[in-house]
Amino acid sequence: MTETSPAPVRDDPEGTPAAVPAIELAGVRKSFQAYGETVHAVRDIDLTVHEGEFFSLLGPSGCGKTTTMRMIAGFEDPTEGAVYLHGEDVTGVPANKRDVNMVFQSYALFPHMSVFDNVAFGLRRRGVDKAETRKRVGAMLEIVDLTGREKRRPSELSGGQQQRVALARALVNRPRALLLDEPLGALDLKLRQAMQVELKRIQREVGITFVYVTHDQGEALTMSDRIAVMNDGGIEQLDTPRAIYERPASRFVAGFIGTSNLITGQITAVGGDGAEIGYGEGRIVVPLNGASRAVGDTVELTVRPEKIVIGGERPDRGSYTSATVAEVVYLGTSTSYLVTTAAGDDVTVFVQNATNADDIAERGSRVWLSWEPRHSYAIGTA
Amino acid sequence: MRRLKGAVAPYLLILPGGLWLVVFFAVPLVYMASVSLMTGNLIDGFEQTWHWRNYTDGLDVYGDKFVRSLWYGLIATVACIALAYPAAYWIAFRAGRHKSTWLFMLLLPFFVSFVLRTIAWKLVLTDQGPVLGPLKSWHLLPKDFHVLDSGFAVVSGLTYNFLPFMVLPIYVALERVDHRVVEAAYDLYAGRFAAFRRVVLPLSLPGVFAGVIMTFVPVTSDYVNASVLGGPDNTMIGNVIQTEYFTNSEYATASALSFTLMALLLLGIFAYARALGTKDVLEAAGR
Amino acid sequence: MDRYDPALRRGLTSRRNVLRLMGASAAALAASACSIPGQGGRGDLTQAQIDAFWKGRTGKGSLNWANWPGYMQDDHASIKAFTKDTGVEVNYKEVIQEASDWFGKVQAPLAAGQSIGFDLMVVTNGIQTSKMIELGYLAPLDHSRLPNFDKYAAAKYKDPAFDPGNTYTIPYESGITGIAYNTKYVKEEIDSIAQLFDPKYKGKVGMMGDSQELGNFGLFAIGVDPEKSTPKDWASAARKLREQRDSRIVRKYYDQGYIDAVAKGDVWLTMAWSGDVYSLANDDVKFVVPKEGGTLWTDLMMIPKPAGNPVDALTLMNWLYEPAHNAPLTEFINYITPVPATRQYVLADAAKATGDDKADLERLASSPLVFPSEADMARLRNFRVLSQQEEPQYQKVFTPIVQGS
Repeated sequence: MTETSPAPVRDDPEGTPAAVPAIELAGVRKSFQAYGETVHAVRDIDLTVHEGEFFSLLGPSGCGKTTTMRMIAGFEDPTEGAVYLHGEDVTGVPANKRDVNMVFQSYALFPHMSVFDNVAFGLRRRGVDKAETRKRVGAMLEIVDLTGREKRRPSELSGGQQQRVALARALVNRPRALLLDEPLGALDLKLRQAMQVELKRIQREVGITFVYVTHDQGEALTMSDRIAVMNDGGIEQLDTPRAIYERPASRFVAGFIGTSNLITGQITAVGGDGAEIGYGEGRIVVPLNGASRAVGDTVELTVRPEKIVIGGERPDRGSYTSATVAEVVYLGTSTSYLVTTAAGDDVTVFVQNATNADDIAERGSRVWLSWEPRHSYAIGTA
Repeated sequence: MRRLKGAVAPYLLILPGGLWLVVFFAVPLVYMASVSLMTGNLIDGFEQTWHWRNYTDGLDVYGDKFVRSLWYGLIATVACIALAYPAAYWIAFRAGRHKSTWLFMLLLPFFVSFVLRTIAWKLVLTDQGPVLGPLKSWHLLPKDFHVLDSGFAVVSGLTYNFLPFMVLPIYVALERVDHRVVEAAYDLYAGRFAAFRRVVLPLSLPGVFAGVIMTFVPVTSDYVNASVLGGPDNTMIGNVIQTEYFTNSEYATASALSFTLMALLLLGIFAYARALGTKDVLEAAGR
Repeated sequence: MDRYDPALRRGLTSRRNVLRLMGASAAALAASACSIPGQGGRGDLTQAQIDAFWKGRTGKGSLNWANWPGYMQDDHASIKAFTKDTGVEVNYKEVIQEASDWFGKVQAPLAAGQSIGFDLMVVTNGIQTSKMIELGYLAPLDHSRLPNFDKYAAAKYKDPAFDPGNTYTIPYESGITGIAYNTKYVKEEIDSIAQLFDPKYKGKVGMMGDSQELGNFGLFAIGVDPEKSTPKDWASAARKLREQRDSRIVRKYYDQGYIDAVAKGDVWLTMAWSGDVYSLANDDVKFVVPKEGGTLWTDLMMIPKPAGNPVDALTLMNWLYEPAHNAPLTEFINYITPVPATRQYVLADAAKATGDDKADLERLASSPLVFPSEADMARLRNFRVLSQQEEPQYQKVFTPIVQGS
C-alpha cells in the first residue's frame, strides 16, 4: 500500500464516535473536460459510510452516483478531495491495490472461465494457496446457493445465477467493503425482488459494508440502512430511508422518492404546532418542525398518496380540500385515483382494496380529500 | 402453403452463396483433382490416366520447396502476430475516438498496388540505399551484406503484406473484450500484466486463431514475394506451381502440386486447431 | 520521366494481373471435360487455306489491340494518326506483361475458338508464340495486304525460323539480349559472357529467369549457337549455369527488375535487354553484345484466329511499316525497329528539333542499341525454335536452375 495518513476527525452524529468509518469521502470533486468545457460529474461530496452498513447511492442516471462509486473502487481519481478506506488515504491507489471489491452492472464475469475459476480469480491473484482457495470458493458458492455448478461457464447460467456468481466472486475476497453498481438492473421484476431479499440476507451473514448504487428508489428504500440521494453531481439528502421518504429535504427528493403530491400555498396563520394554509374551499395544516415561517410565506408541502383519504362528506378537522376525479386506475391490491384539487393541483391518491369491492368514486365525480397534518411535510423544515 | 414457404426460405437464402461456391469453388476443385491425375501435354492433349505418380513425383522433386514454404509461412505468421498484436491492442484500447483513423492509417499502404509497395521496398533496401548504405559506410555491416534477394527479405515481405489479415481479426477480438471485464480483473487484485495475461489475452485468442488461419494459408502459398524479393535459394512452392502452369503448361503437375499444398495446409491448420483452438486452452490461459 | 516509362511501367504492372489470370484460367479449365484434347500440328497451311480464311472478309472500321505497357506514346499519337489516315478506330489496351502469363490467359478461349476480345496482339518470339502457331490459334496473314512489310522490313526479320514466310507474324519492335554492367563497380571492360561466370563477381551477377534467355546464355558460354543447339548441348549448358548458381555468383534470376538493380549496384553486371539500358540513360551503365554472341528477340504482331476484325488489324500492321509512320513510335519506344529506313525520319526530326529534344533524337539515331551496327547484327543469334517434343524437355533442363533445384 502507499503512504497513509489518518482521516481527519469529524463529528459523527449517528455512528459510534469510536469506530473508524469504513469509507469516507472528503470534499471529493470529479471534473471532465468535454468539448472545451469543464463538466462536473461529482461536485464537492462529503460522505461517511459506517462499518457494516448497507449504504445506497440513489439518483437518476447522470447524477454522479456511478462516478462516486468508481472513485471509491479506484477506477477514477478525484480531481479534488480525498478518499479514505478505514481511515487510510487511498486517493491515487489503483483499484487492484484497494481492499474493496465491486459487483458490476451486468456482472462483467470472465466469460472464458468456469464459475469456480471466476470466483477463485481474486484469491489466486493474492496468492492464496490451493487448498484454502478451494475451501473458500466452496463455502462462498454455498452461501450464494451455487454448489454443484462450479464447472459451468457464465453463459450457461441464468441471469440470477450470474448475479450470484458476481457477488460470490467479490465477497470471497472478504473485502473491507463491497461496491455494487446497479447489480439487479438486468433482472426481471420477480427475480429482482427475490434478489433484494437475498442480498440483504447475505450482507447480514457476511457482515461486510455494502455500497449500493441504484436508480430504483424502491430498491434503495427496501434494502438500505442509509441513502444518499444524488442529483447533478451533488448529494441532495443523506438519511435513513424513512426520513428520506417522509421528510424529503428538497423538491427533487420529494419527486424522486416514491409517488409524491406536491402542493404549493401561502401561509395564512402560524400556530404552535404548524402553519395553516388556505387552500380553495378547504384548508391545510402542516407541521413546521420548529422551522420559522411567517404569514404570507409560500410553502411547498408533500403528502404521500397512501396517506390521503377520499370521502363524500366535507371533513371538519385536519387538512382537507375538495377535488374532481380525473382518472381511476385499478392496481390489484390498491386503486390509484388521479384527482384535481379545487386549487388546480394534480394529486394522486392510493386506496387499499381491503374490503370495499367497488370503487369509491367514479371518474368526474366531486369528492373530498383529507389527511392528517402530521402526514404532510413542508419541504425544507427538517 | 405458407408453411412450405417458411420451410423453404432458409434454403433460398443460401442459394446465391451456395451456387457461387459450387460454380467457382467446388467445380474447379473437382476438375483440378481430375486434372492432377492426368498425363500428357498441351500439344497432344491430356488423358485421364489416374497417374498418382504426379503426386509422389511432385513431392520427390519439390519436397524442399514445400518444406521451405511451410517454414517461411510459419516464421512470417509468428512475426505477424508479434507485430499485429501490440498494434491492434493499442488501437483497440488506447486510441480512444481516433480508433478508426488509426485503423485506416494501418490499412492505408494496402490500398496501394502490391508491386508499387515492393518497388518502394527495393528502393529502401537496396545494397547502397538509405538503410544499408550508411550502415556499411560506418562499417557496421560487411561490404557485401545485402537484404534484397534473400530469405530474410522474402519473409519480411510476406510478413508486411499479410499483416492486415492478422491485425483485423485480433483488433475485432480485442474490441469485443468488455472493458468492464478488464476492470473486474483490476478490481480483483490483478495488476496490468495479470489482467492482460489472464483476461485480455485469452479473450482475444480466438482473434489470433482466426488471424493465423487467414495469414498462414496465403503466406505459405504465396509466390509474388519470393519472385520479387527472393534470390535463387528462396523459391517457394507457389513459384513452382506458377511456372509449371503458366510457363510449362504442365497442368497435371501444377494441379497435383496445388492439391498437395492444400492437403499440407489443411493438415497444419487442423493440427493447430486441435492443439490450440479449444475452450480448454482459453480456460487454462485464464487460471 | 517518359524515358523511364517503358521499363518502369512494365515492372510496375507485370505481377499485378497474375492473380486475376489465375482465376480466369482455373474457370476456363473447369469448362472443359474429363480430358484435355490435344491441338498440335495445325501450323502448316497451304495458300488455298490462307485464301479461304480471308475470303469474303472486309474491314469493319475498328479494332482492338492488346500490347505491352510502354509500347505506345502516352498520348497515343500514332494511333490517332492511323485513325485519321484510315478512318479505323483503335481500342488500345496495355494488357500484356509477360508472354507466359498472357498465354495462360488466352489459351483456353483460343482452344475453344472463342474471341479473346482482341484483333491484334503483340507477343515475343519464343515458346508461347511457337505454341500458338503449332496449336492453330493464329490467323494466317494475307501478305497481299501487307505491301509495306515486303518493301521496308529489314532482311533479318523476313522469313524467320520460328515462322517461315512470316505466315503468322510480323515484328513490332525487337531488341538484343546482351550484358549490361555498371562501370562504377566493374573496373574492366566487359565483352564476354565468360565474365558472367567469373567468381570475382560472386553475388553481383544478374541472370534472366526466362528459361530460353537463360538457356541461350548458357549455350553461348559453352560455345554453342543456341539456334543450332541439341539436347546434349542443353545438358552441358545447364551444368555450367548450375555451377554458376551453386558457387553463388548469381545474385538473382530476374524477370524485369534487373535494370534498377544494375543501376543501383545491387548487381554489377547482368543479362539485359538493349532498350531497357537505352531508356535508363545512365552513363555508368553500359550495354554490350558479348563476343560469344547475343540474341535478337522480336515482339511480334499477330492476329488471333477468332478475331472479329482481322482485316482492320492487317491495315494497321501495314500502316506501321511505312517509315514515316514508324519513326514517331521508335522515338518513343527506343527498341530496335524492323524498319531501318525509319532512321532517316528520326534524323530529319532531329534536324527540325531544338534543345533537349534535338539531343535526344540525335542520341537515338546514333545509338547502336536502337540502330545496331552491322558488326553487332552479325553477332546476333536467334532463339532456338523448339518442336512440340523438345519444348518440355528444354523446360525440364533449364527451369529447375531458376527454382534453385
